[in-house]
Amino acid sequence: MNRAALTEFAGRFGESRIGVASLAVTLTFLICALLAPLISPTDPYDLSRLQLIDALKPMGSHQVVPGEEFRASFAVEDGVAVAQGDAHGLAAQSCGDACLEVRLDAETPLASLQVRTLPAGASVEGASKHPVQNWWTVNTPAGNSVRIVSDAPLPETFNFSVIARSDDQPTDLVFHLGTDGFGRDMLSAILYGIRISVFVGVVAAGSAMVIGTGLGLFAAWRGGATDALIMRAVDFMLSFPAILVGLAILAVLGSGVGKVILAVVLVQWCYYARTSRSLALSELNKEYVEAARGLRLPAWRIMARHVLPNCMPQIIVLFTLNIAAAISLESSLSFLGVGLPLTQPSLGMLIANGYEYIFSQKYWISFGPGIVLLVMIVAMNLLGDRLRDVTNPRFER
Amino acid sequence: MAETLFEARDLSRIFEPARGALQQLSDRITGKQPAVVRAVDKVTLSVVEGETLGIVGESGCGKSTLARMITGILPVSGGERRYRGEDYVSFLARKRDALKVQMVFQDPMSSLNPRLKVGEIIGEAAALHRVVPRARVRDHVVEMLERVGLPADTITRYPHQFSGGQRQRIGIARALAVKPELLVCDEAVAALDVSVQAQIINLLMDIRQDSGLSMIFISHDLGLIRHLCDRVAVMYLGRVVELARTEELFANPVHPYTQMLLAGMPRISVERRAFMPIVGEIPSPLHPPSGCHFHPRCSSASGHCSRIRPELSEWTPGHMQACINAG
Repeated sequence: MNRAALTEFAGRFGESRIGVASLAVTLTFLICALLAPLISPTDPYDLSRLQLIDALKPMGSHQVVPGEEFRASFAVEDGVAVAQGDAHGLAAQSCGDACLEVRLDAETPLASLQVRTLPAGASVEGASKHPVQNWWTVNTPAGNSVRIVSDAPLPETFNFSVIARSDDQPTDLVFHLGTDGFGRDMLSAILYGIRISVFVGVVAAGSAMVIGTGLGLFAAWRGGATDALIMRAVDFMLSFPAILVGLAILAVLGSGVGKVILAVVLVQWCYYARTSRSLALSELNKEYVEAARGLRLPAWRIMARHVLPNCMPQIIVLFTLNIAAAISLESSLSFLGVGLPLTQPSLGMLIANGYEYIFSQKYWISFGPGIVLLVMIVAMNLLGDRLRDVTNPRFER
Repeated sequence: MAETLFEARDLSRIFEPARGALQQLSDRITGKQPAVVRAVDKVTLSVVEGETLGIVGESGCGKSTLARMITGILPVSGGERRYRGEDYVSFLARKRDALKVQMVFQDPMSSLNPRLKVGEIIGEAAALHRVVPRARVRDHVVEMLERVGLPADTITRYPHQFSGGQRQRIGIARALAVKPELLVCDEAVAALDVSVQAQIINLLMDIRQDSGLSMIFISHDLGLIRHLCDRVAVMYLGRVVELARTEELFANPVHPYTQMLLAGMPRISVERRAFMPIVGEIPSPLHPPSGCHFHPRCSSASGHCSRIRPELSEWTPGHMQACINAG
């Protein structure tokens, strides 16, 4: 297409606000898909970074660094406490008769400090005792220290152990769209999900376009038995619902990106074959094809250079619509659990994951991917419709 | 005597209607012959070097089908074609030699690929078949454009940017670019305005004069045929009914159909003249009349005409005709 025709095409396309809006939305999603590794806050595929403490958090909550635990055991001899092994910054010293202070020298405030196995008669100031065990726990000890006191003087020799827990620390990272059951940031998961879905959609629809258009042109050129064979195969494929074909193929082959693409290609090639055959048949009747034959051009050249470019506008429209169809088919298959692997969630799988929690008011897990999928497919369909209107020769303004 | 360039003998083209397998079977059992269209029915004609042969007839008489068989675009159902005495089977197999027969099409809108630039349209075959060296293709295209009276910058433009007459010039340049010896013009000016028609006709005559090109000029316009052609073949429903030198045909038409065609031709010299319209419509080629195809519309038809298929025979030297009642 030359520049003047392109300008005119763009002008006609721009007449519809819905068309421009759908193009903008589609491009936004494409950019999201391309730049997902750069713009997403976390890498949802890095399983080692996931922590269960972040799981199922609502929208807007912060990521948390879980509190640390310090353990040390002490032996008291002649009133002097000596740490056995590594003390992890814990220290115990005498604070008078029948008094022993245990402290942690650290900036971070402790969530709790527990002292275990004290001798009979001894207790910990302000502590609650375990109902059965000889465990004394002080929540948020002031100054990170507790005192072991006793009515009678403490024995000369005894052992005890200390477990200090520091507080959970919120980080600057905010989960704007909440987290799922694995503690994955939903925003990142959605961005990567768009990437996977768009990749599968474009590659599958593109492969189907190449294969289907090739077969359609071949059928139109050869005619006769070849034509009948290919077109009956098309009729055969079209008589099955897409989701059924996809399920059958994935049930046999197992899940995976490549297999989902294969399933979509097998479903979609026949649309292109049928369309390109009928377009090519009408083009083959035109005089410029006869002129090309008169100029003794080889058959493949006539098809590739003369017939195909004249069929392309309608095929590109079909391609746009079929990307949306491919994405929705892939999402449906993933939702049903036969599509992509759990470690590379597409939008459909994210929705399926969230579906388990939707009745426990954890709505955000399904809603985000669901709305994104809805908007993306609607935008692509509107874009395809608009392209079809503009390329239609009987375009009415 | 100039060499015979192209020769067709008993050339036929039959179009069969598409039949399902069941229909074919039942036809075979009942012995029914399927209704076929004999678009071209045993046509014999020849073109000598440097000559222009006119083919004239009403629409639907098989002129365009004949043109496509002559250029090798359509296969034949029967008969043989020869180029300089060589059969078309081997002639068409040698792609570069097969370029010697080229065609100019009727509709300048659909005969140019809208997706290719004019330079590609004209130069593609010349480059592919090495008619000129690769490096010279562009110069060659410019040369062809000049020859048909178009500026050199036409090369980078697209067909839709041109008028009908200019497009037809591009179509002629495309045919000339592969250096043909025989140019088949199928109603090449029928789709153009009269003023533009004259320009294209003059262009064709100039080209013929410059390069000694042989031409087959197909038209329904008797005036054009008379102006352009050395010999004329008159076709009716797939058959040639009369074939003679132009002056001879226009002066002494023998076949009743030719006579009626000529009588219907508008002339300036005659002031008051009763037109003698040909009675009735051209019959459907699916169910042509028996015997002589023209007999239902012929004023001088006799009883034999509906039974005997008339053959083209010599009337006077060089003048062939196919009416059994002639003379």
